[in-house]
Amino acid sequence: MKYRMRVTPQRCIGCRTCELACAFSHPVEGVGIGQSRVSTFDMGDDVFIPLLCLQCEDPACVKACPVEALVRNEETGAVEVVEERCIKCLACVPACPFGNMYPAGLREPVVKCDLCKGQPKCALFCPTRALEYLPV
Amino acid sequence: MVNIKIDGKRIRAQDGETILEAASRHGIEIPALCHHEAVEPWGGCRLCMVEITKKAWEGWSRLVTSCLYPVEEGLEVETASERVMASRRETLDLLLARCPETPKVRDLAAEYGIEETSYRPREEPDDCILCGICTRICASLGHHAIVLTGRGPAKKVDTPFNEPTDACVGCGACAQNCPTLAIPMREMNGMRTIWGRTFKLIPCESCGRTFITEEQVQHLCETEGFSPDSFNKCDACRRKEAAATFSTIVKW
Repeated sequence: MKYRMRVTPQRCIGCRTCELACAFSHPVEGVGIGQSRVSTFDMGDDVFIPLLCLQCEDPACVKACPVEALVRNEETGAVEVVEERCIKCLACVPACPFGNMYPAGLREPVVKCDLCKGQPKCALFCPTRALEYLPV
Repeated sequence: MVNIKIDGKRIRAQDGETILEAASRHGIEIPALCHHEAVEPWGGCRLCMVEITKKAWEGWSRLVTSCLYPVEEGLEVETASERVMASRRETLDLLLARCPETPKVRDLAAEYGIEETSYRPREEPDDCILCGICTRICASLGHHAIVLTGRGPAKKVDTPFNEPTDACVGCGACAQNCPTLAIPMREMNGMRTIWGRTFKLIPCESCGRTFITEEQVQHLCETEGFSPDSFNKCDACRRKEAAATFSTIVKW
């Protein structure tokens, strides 16, 4: 069955549990927690926008990648980084119109939301169901 | 599917894949320095040598580079036979003579019991192991700014005629992927220096963080059809902008 991430900003309370869940579920060797692939923005007046990769149908990041290191996982629908293939040219970072590609530092492959291989932790831990992973 | 044996273990390999690919998919480690998933294999470092044989070869065997040799039915591979180890030790001994101070080479050589080279070490130690990952990546990006030049001991990675070249866009992918950190790249005051040229880094319109060179933007616009405006903000500011846009779209 196909699943999609549904974001309902009206429910977001800005607790950033999604960011923590993401950072803890993508640990970096020797550091512990990793870079979160989801960011929550406080727009004032109790308006919060959780932002994560939209897994676009015709992704600009994939188009920009010169070595096909970004591939769609047909099962989860997520565009994933093939880390061994990434040449760290960072062409995908400015290519994403939403800024959802994260440069992970010198000599490190770029990181992006991979929907946790079909079990996104951000949605699992979101206390208000602002992030939901639902069957289409 | 092809049935092969690696170190006595039966493996079903995919048609057309190389011995190295089949081995790494099954958790069998073969050392390699010039292998990079992003570019075509080229058998440069000679460390991934393995011994192959077949029943029909009646005891005859040969050494091949596993990164280039495609699997075939009934192939029997030894990744650590005496002949393989001797070849690998010789290669590492020579590499150590070239790069006596390079940690990656020293560590790998030590794994094979070589602490000091038996050859005369190079007078001017060089961290470059001539693996060609940088040149192949540069070519795959469409720049061809650096190549392997010279022959024998004079062989090195360089720009054509050892001069700063217009072909380089300063993306730094060569330096980022160099396994031994042999390519110097410096960033200072919004400028990046690499291969004898200094590139101006474009600062983000809102936060001022620098992230990409002007030449890189030009190249991406020409080859991938991006508009130059799409490079005026860094990823973090772009996210902020996207969130602001979404907040106006959402009905509260």
